[in-house]
Amino acid sequence: MNSRDKILDTVKKNQPDHRELPPLPGTVAGTAMPPAGGSVADLTHAFTTVLEAIGGTAYLVSGFDRIATILREQFPREQHPHIVSGCPELSGWAGAPDRNADPHTLENIDLAVLRAHFGVAENGACWITEERMIHRALPFITQHLALVIDHKDIVANMHEAYDRIAGLEAGTTGEAGLTDGVGVEAGVSTSYGFGTFIAGPSKTADIEQSLVLGAHGPRSLIVFLLDAAISDAGFY
Amino acid sequence: MSENKKDHAALAEEFNKDEPRVDWHDQTLWWIRQKRDKAAHQVPEWEDLRNLASGIKENVLSDLSGYLRQFEEQATRNGIVVHWAADAAEHNEIVYSLLQRKGVDKMVKSKSMLTEECHLNEYLAQKGIEVIDTDLGERVVQLAGEPPSHIVLPCIHKKKEEIGEIFHEHLGTPAGNADPQFLTHAARLHLREKFLTRRVALTGVNFAVAETGEFVVCTNEGNADMGAHLADMHIACMGIEKLIPQRRHLGVFLRLLTRSATGQPITTYSSHFRKPRPGQEMHIVFVDNGRSAHLGKKDFRSSLKCIRCAACFNTCPVYRRSGGHSYHTAVAGPIGSILSPNLDMKKYADLPFASTLCGSCSNVCPVKIDIHEQLYKWRQVIVQEGYAPAAKTVALKTMNWVLSNPSVYRAAGKTGRWFMLNVPFTVNNGLNAWYRQRDMPAPPRQSFGEWYKKNKS
Repeated sequence: MNSRDKILDTVKKNQPDHRELPPLPGTVAGTAMPPAGGSVADLTHAFTTVLEAIGGTAYLVSGFDRIATILREQFPREQHPHIVSGCPELSGWAGAPDRNADPHTLENIDLAVLRAHFGVAENGACWITEERMIHRALPFITQHLALVIDHKDIVANMHEAYDRIAGLEAGTTGEAGLTDGVGVEAGVSTSYGFGTFIAGPSKTADIEQSLVLGAHGPRSLIVFLLDAAISDAGFY
Repeated sequence: MSENKKDHAALAEEFNKDEPRVDWHDQTLWWIRQKRDKAAHQVPEWEDLRNLASGIKENVLSDLSGYLRQFEEQATRNGIVVHWAADAAEHNEIVYSLLQRKGVDKMVKSKSMLTEECHLNEYLAQKGIEVIDTDLGERVVQLAGEPPSHIVLPCIHKKKEEIGEIFHEHLGTPAGNADPQFLTHAARLHLREKFLTRRVALTGVNFAVAETGEFVVCTNEGNADMGAHLADMHIACMGIEKLIPQRRHLGVFLRLLTRSATGQPITTYSSHFRKPRPGQEMHIVFVDNGRSAHLGKKDFRSSLKCIRCAACFNTCPVYRRSGGHSYHTAVAGPIGSILSPNLDMKKYADLPFASTLCGSCSNVCPVKIDIHEQLYKWRQVIVQEGYAPAAKTVALKTMNWVLSNPSVYRAAGKTGRWFMLNVPFTVNNGLNAWYRQRDMPAPPRQSFGEWYKKNKS
């Protein structure tokens, strides 16, 4: 008998009597946790607070013009010549890398600006799948990373996050960002080959528990929260 | 560590020779335990989450064969090649054959305690394959020629000055520089070159989802992703117990894992690998290595629910004061002490005794494993099977005889009190193991039994 059959046989023989799978919050009324819910403003506030606590930065912005202004200030071309963007709205300022290029050619990227799907208030993470990364390696190899989401696309916790991912895959959930022409359209089912939650910049505390940002991946992470209704005037 | 014949007590004694270091180690880990508490207390439904996680894992163990088949089918459909290894040797051979087929003699590896358990690095070194560990802590211990001392914080036992010295010797950093920021940057540059030049990357697996055939790898550094996305071949190695039924169950486990481990709300990266990228090869190696047999042991099977957060390490008064290396096994701490005897009862017979049975481990466990109860049960199995140290066996047998014979018990008490009162040096000496770290108590003039007889009227 080969190892596969031997393992499966022994497991089957030794596994205990069937135990039911417990229902998850939200799937059966009145069980476990109530849905966290919360208003858009509450979720934005919670997301921003957690993101800053884990070493990231959040900006609430009116649109991509404002994003370009902030990034131009923080990443002047003289010091950061290699900037790429997966957002068509920024094409005047930074272009997208070639999808078919060898990922090793990304080693000198200084900043990548990518559109993520949504954020999670409880942990400051953003969900992004590979077609938005252009290259799977890009969000990791770039020296600095900026992610863009609509401020309405923030869910309370990880249970809602996986509901949202299931909705995106089934095509039953659209993204608020659709109004900008970049969100996922409801009715179109998508399936990812690779997806990741990114929560803050790459970090380590392996040397005597001293927190250092920028282990192997990005040294900094900015998340832009789009809200067309707000005014940028107060920032000047 | 087959050359290591010392048991936990002897190794802990060595670690305890440097008292300030023990205090530092103890306090560092307790600080992490406190961060875990803070993170857990911010989630009002924390206890519900623990119950859910435990319930989901109970279900997984009860239908593991079904979930393994389901995962294999889905993953294969996704273009991932699934391999099965009955033991450590077969796991190592599979990895080596993949490297050979690719024609490479170098690879990068992110953290995988399974490959530590299988001694993959040593095996591949003998075959002339260079393995670079890319987790910073693992790279430090690899350069130092040591195994990790903690499953989440591999070099928690090292002072920054020692790491500075290791980097000076191997990476050419200036002598005497022990600044964590500087050293981390040096490692970043050193390892970036490895990521860019290695064609095969090996990673561990935190969770594998039966429903979708995808697997999740969690890191803070981004090293698993840097390796996997730049390599032509990604090999992911996992114990067969790492399965979960559905993707939405990740919501429960990802909320618990990092809060329990380091007190962070989530790791920086929680990467979901479902299909290889175009032109890339992706392999999964399922490893049994004693797990299927462990599943058949009613009293001990629930330890297979473990998600490797190491909360039980950080809280354990024995681990904090004896260090990870004193456990002489890949997975140390309380959970390692109940997993290891299953692999080799004789070799690890000392580990279930490396505990005060205080129960703190069980209280912090995110999947509610009854760790301290299993430690207690292992002790009984080990003594029954004749693997307990001779001195302990004689002591326990004697105690059994004394306690089950009332007249002997009374006589022994009387004799003991007489000795301690009149010739205390006969018990207060190095031959008495109990006396080594403790002062003997002042003996009473009479026993409770004698007092009661006199005063009962």
